[in-house]
Amino acid sequence: MATFELYRRSTIGMCLTETLDEMVQSGTLSPELAIQVLVQFDKSMTEALESQVKTKVSIKGHLHTYRFCDNVWTFILQDAMFKSDDRQENVSRVKIVACDSKLLTQ
Amino acid sequence: TDQGLEGSNPVDLSKHPSGIVPTLQNIVSTVNLDCKLDLKAIALQARNAEYNPKRFAAVIMRIREPKTTALIFASGKMVCTGAKSEDFSKMAARKYARIVQKLGFPAKFKDFKIQNIVGSCDVKFPIRLEGLAYSHAAFSSYEPELFPGLIYRMKVPKIVLLIFVSGKIVITGAKMRDETYKAFENIYPVLSEFRKIQQ
Repeated sequence: MATFELYRRSTIGMCLTETLDEMVQSGTLSPELAIQVLVQFDKSMTEALESQVKTKVSIKGHLHTYRFCDNVWTFILQDAMFKSDDRQENVSRVKIVACDSKLLTQ
Repeated sequence: TDQGLEGSNPVDLSKHPSGIVPTLQNIVSTVNLDCKLDLKAIALQARNAEYNPKRFAAVIMRIREPKTTALIFASGKMVCTGAKSEDFSKMAARKYARIVQKLGFPAKFKDFKIQNIVGSCDVKFPIRLEGLAYSHAAFSSYEPELFPGLIYRMKVPKIVLLIFVSGKIVITGAKMRDETYKAFENIYPVLSEFRKIQQ
């Protein structure tokens, strides 16, 4: 299955990448295995978000900039309101990167 | 909005005998930037751009002032839509050309041309479309099952008018705004003739 590498830039993805880098540096892990772990991370994130996350969040704000290229949408919102079930939060500037998950199954 | 200005800006009755000035709603213009463009590079660098070559072979770009949309093709040809006047359309086209230049392409501004002007207005009385279609059969197409408006293809000037029962009129096909105005003044007496008298 193809995957997106999008989640590698998340906090958890960055932490994993850092740890793998350290292990490769110190010789406890081969670079090939580190890559394999990252690919597994991509798959696991996609699966986990699909099957284990039920929370829905709505985001509403002023669209400052958008882009659609290579099947990736990028949005920069200003004064965005994030709303989930029981809490909401204002963010002055937020960047959204979105891919079409249908492309993975094609 | 056209009526809103009447008080401060009286209508020139020699040019608009009906007393109604159609409002320009959309201007379509084209220009040749006269250089080959790398659309993917443009989509990646410019803001507010869409490029989906599987669907459409142009970058779709928007600016807020004047609020318009441009279609930018790899050949360097560009279409600018959405402006409310000829001047705004040209101003917007220049802004797009400038954006493309700033991305490193030697864009020129060749053969700018207004391709279409769409105007609209409201005569503020209902119209008997069937009667109008019958007496102007050579110019009219009225098929309410397909489209609720009467399509009137005027010969001189060569303009298409969409006429609705409500008295709302859309005038399209002009390259000069005076053709829009002329077409409306030509049709206005006809609309008056087929004014629907309400019970």
